[in-house]
Amino acid sequence: MIPATFDGLMPIVILMSIAVLLFWGGHFASVILAPKKPSHLKSTPYECGEQPVGSAWSMFNVRFYVVGLIFIIFDVESVLMFPVASIFREMNDMGQGGYALIIFLSFISILIEGIAYCWKKGDLDWVKSYQVSLNDNNK
Amino acid sequence: MNQTVVSYLSQYEFYDSLLALFGNNQGLLAFTIFLIVALIIVGLCATIGGLGTYAERKISADLQQRIGPNRVGPYGLLQFLADGVKMMTKEDVMPFTADKMLFYLAPMLALVGVFATLAVLPFSSGFAMADLNVGVFYLIAISSLVGLAVFLGGYASNSKWSMLGGMRGASQIISYEIPVTISILAITLLAGGMSFGTIVGMQKGLPINWFIFHNPFAFIAFFVFFTGALAETNRAPFDLPEAESELVSGYHTEYTGMRFGFFALAEYIEVFVVCGVAVALFLGGSNLPVDIKLDIIPIQIIEVVIFLTKTLLLYYVVIWIRWTLPRLRVDQLMSVCWKYLTPMAILNLVGCAIWLVVFNGKSMADMVFGH
Amino acid sequence: MFIQILFGLSALLTIGCAIAVAVTKNIMHSCVFLLGSLIGIAGLYATLGADFVAVTQIMVYVGGVVILMLFAVMLTGGKDYVSKAQNLLGLAPNMGNKWTYTIGLLVSLVFILTNVKLVSSVIKANPAKTFGNEFPSTVNQLGHLLVKDHVLAFELSSVLLLGALVGAAIIARPRKQ
Repeated sequence: MIPATFDGLMPIVILMSIAVLLFWGGHFASVILAPKKPSHLKSTPYECGEQPVGSAWSMFNVRFYVVGLIFIIFDVESVLMFPVASIFREMNDMGQGGYALIIFLSFISILIEGIAYCWKKGDLDWVKSYQVSLNDNNK
Repeated sequence: MNQTVVSYLSQYEFYDSLLALFGNNQGLLAFTIFLIVALIIVGLCATIGGLGTYAERKISADLQQRIGPNRVGPYGLLQFLADGVKMMTKEDVMPFTADKMLFYLAPMLALVGVFATLAVLPFSSGFAMADLNVGVFYLIAISSLVGLAVFLGGYASNSKWSMLGGMRGASQIISYEIPVTISILAITLLAGGMSFGTIVGMQKGLPINWFIFHNPFAFIAFFVFFTGALAETNRAPFDLPEAESELVSGYHTEYTGMRFGFFALAEYIEVFVVCGVAVALFLGGSNLPVDIKLDIIPIQIIEVVIFLTKTLLLYYVVIWIRWTLPRLRVDQLMSVCWKYLTPMAILNLVGCAIWLVVFNGKSMADMVFGH
Repeated sequence: MFIQILFGLSALLTIGCAIAVAVTKNIMHSCVFLLGSLIGIAGLYATLGADFVAVTQIMVYVGGVVILMLFAVMLTGGKDYVSKAQNLLGLAPNMGNKWTYTIGLLVSLVFILTNVKLVSSVIKANPAKTFGNEFPSTVNQLGHLLVKDHVLAFELSSVLLLGALVGAAIIARPRKQ
């Protein structure tokens, strides 16, 4: 018999497999139903009717990477805050609300410090960092 | 605890006779019930997603004083079926420069990510498929698969438009996940738990008990959440990944036929899921306005209807916003997220925490009406 | 029964994708296989009853780290630049001499011994050990531990993340001459 705590996993797995089956079902339906007249021009990447020049896989600006890095740090912070947030009310009911609030606020204040630093230094600025790097290229 | 639709049904008498029918095999019966409910929910959501495309065109036509689709079925209602059949019979074109494996994988990943979120969506107090302890958290986590799918779809196409759309899409989705997550944290704080059952259960009764009216910070948190959620689903005014006037069609430029259809389906179902989550977190979920002690299946069905009504009203607002507001620029998009929404969300979180301690968990309604 | 099946599937996904990460020559595919491997590990956590850790695994690794890796690959321009670097022996002259082989042997010896130690303790352990039932869920347990027993670690992790944030911002900032 399935323990009650593991019951919740089954619907997730079922829904995921339905999604996969639906995808392949739709794919094979279109394989059967759809016409097949391939030509070279048809399978060139779309560039508004021009002949594509080069590959699209080119080097991208580092700003995307910075956004990813900042995101991960906030992500981990929120992961750490979730368990504390979900017992906050319970602790408040037990009369330890002030203690929990101090711990929670000191955690968040360090987070705010981080975002304030990045804001001040212009790391959250999309355009400014771009202009700085342009100037660097000109030098 | 993890309540599921099976554990809900098991309190009725017919469950025992069903169990006898399955030769007392609990696992098999649970699997069958889950499978049936999953198929119903997927069917419902696919229909809503399909009707979403119809509603989108019809509402935009209304807003622009046009007629909109009116040929297929009464009032053009069956337009989405015609579109589906059309997509299935379209030739499947893949660019010869594409990365074949990822080209197949991307729409599948989007579909998997969106369908997996349906497992915790609280349609009613008993008919949520699974009420996990980590419900909201799970939903945020698994929906990040869609961002990955957008990126991979853009990358695999090896077309310049797709690549730009994919990069923009992924960075936009992960950026706006931060204010959304922090707004949800504020609600977790107020409800004292992450499961949808706890959160919806805290908002019983009249609309004044909804979390949106719990305190001023929660009120702002709703708008932060909703804005961020719009951006996470790539809806206008945040539809930069597929901005048709500059990127042709963004990350799904090269997708044709059924695979394009799956991307579109995933997107429309995701909008539905996001509206449902907003309803469950802030707008009272599936609660009846009156407190009924009776727990029978007709009540559950009324709850489902209430939930769907609220969600579809919010869906209408989403479409309304799309056809009203102009698109943001990329730098505006990033500054809206990092300089306005995220600090506001953190402020709301701090405000909610202080409110909870200072007023000992009372909402504004409790203080006004004094109970 | 279901848990056993799920455990088997997750383990297969983890190991299969991990092998594919090492074998495939396309770095983008490598990242995607890593994604599969990480999802498999989340499944393993979930079957062990650690639901919060499983979701954290998905949230941080699938939603964050894999996307960051894909962005990092895109800094170099994706596939075209990378397929040349497969010939490791020719690329790095220090690879493949007797020192690297010796170090590799030692590292694998340590690795094998650690694994044997770990697995033996698992085999000897009492399988009937369960969680204490004083908390309604693992999340509450974690929350209480974070706020009471490990409050210093909780606060310090915030400082650590602040350091990481500042470091990330500084490294990625365009340098002025």
